[in-house]
Amino acid sequence: MSFHPRVQDHTQSTFDHVIADESELTAGCKIEPGKSYGFFTDTTVCIGCKACEVACKEWNNLPADNLGLTGQSFDNTGALSANTWRHVAFVERSGCGGVRDMGEVPFQSAWLMMSDVCKHCHNAPCLEACPTGALFRTEFDTVVVQQDICNGCGYCVPACPFGVIDVSTNDGKAHKCTLCYDRLKGGLEPACSKSCPTDSIQFGELGDLQQRAAERVDTLHGLGVTSAYLYGTPDAPGSTGGLGHLGAFFLLTERPEVYNLPVAPTRPADRVAPSLMTGLLTMAGLALAATAVLSRRT
Amino acid sequence: MPFMEGTITIVQESRFQMTDDRGASHLFSLSPHAAADPSQLAPLAAQQSRIRVKFREGDNIIGAIAQSISVMTGGEAR
Repeated sequence: MSFHPRVQDHTQSTFDHVIADESELTAGCKIEPGKSYGFFTDTTVCIGCKACEVACKEWNNLPADNLGLTGQSFDNTGALSANTWRHVAFVERSGCGGVRDMGEVPFQSAWLMMSDVCKHCHNAPCLEACPTGALFRTEFDTVVVQQDICNGCGYCVPACPFGVIDVSTNDGKAHKCTLCYDRLKGGLEPACSKSCPTDSIQFGELGDLQQRAAERVDTLHGLGVTSAYLYGTPDAPGSTGGLGHLGAFFLLTERPEVYNLPVAPTRPADRVAPSLMTGLLTMAGLALAATAVLSRRT
Repeated sequence: MPFMEGTITIVQESRFQMTDDRGASHLFSLSPHAAADPSQLAPLAAQQSRIRVKFREGDNIIGAIAQSISVMTGGEAR
């Protein structure tokens, strides 16, 4: 195992100061404004520990929600919401699709686990739908809601093709993952990726992450997991419908809908012009028909 | 309306954690109807001001909604 040379500068157990550019030590990249950062989530190594969910709630001071048991899974978080910005989905499968099928005892199920999060889309529909400018793109190429500007109109909620953003019934404002904007500004990697014990969630510069992800897919293919593919990288599933690439992308081994991801997400703004034209043509058609009927009467 | 007194120890956007005299911490979200702005919370935390929060329980969350925040001064504060 190799360590960053700067690790040797910090051997004490407790610190009386913040380590400058700590992300260099924990994620292997220095965080600088003007570059694109994101997450690569490798679902094949996710163990469903939910450390990312807890770390997110702890850092962002988010309350526990969805109290009680869902009764349908070991996952009681349920879904992403205004108070849950990371959600580890537990997908129960009967058989692993060829990977360990022969090794399983009868009636034993298998699990697919995926830590879902805001995708920080390149062409973010939520940002395009926001009438107040509360949603903005940061200097790290991420998408964040400014709480003091959000008026809670909720236009962003149906605009998101992934169902990520949500308006809180408690404070009446839209909330979603900020990719730990405050931590990035302080040179810290996001809380969720830092807490991930298996490095299923990796943080870094998007270009590096996409390259790392492509190599991981090649490795998995070499190991016989031919179903592995990327969701959200340029020209891959998930980057459809004018969305561009996704800032948070995934390595999956099943169809996207199995993980509750849309097969071909689209950008609602692309439907405005056709909808407007359809409306205008309908009005013109009705006006012509009315003119024809009325002229025949006279 | 129930209320609690203490000092703000963590602030994130419109959410804050208040630690009471027993050392127990409580999570609050600022109500949109409160006569306070999220940007006023960080200075209260930095100054360790003793505050009184009137609140209601949140919907389906372990946390409360702060309806009003008042800074306790002089004789009010212990």
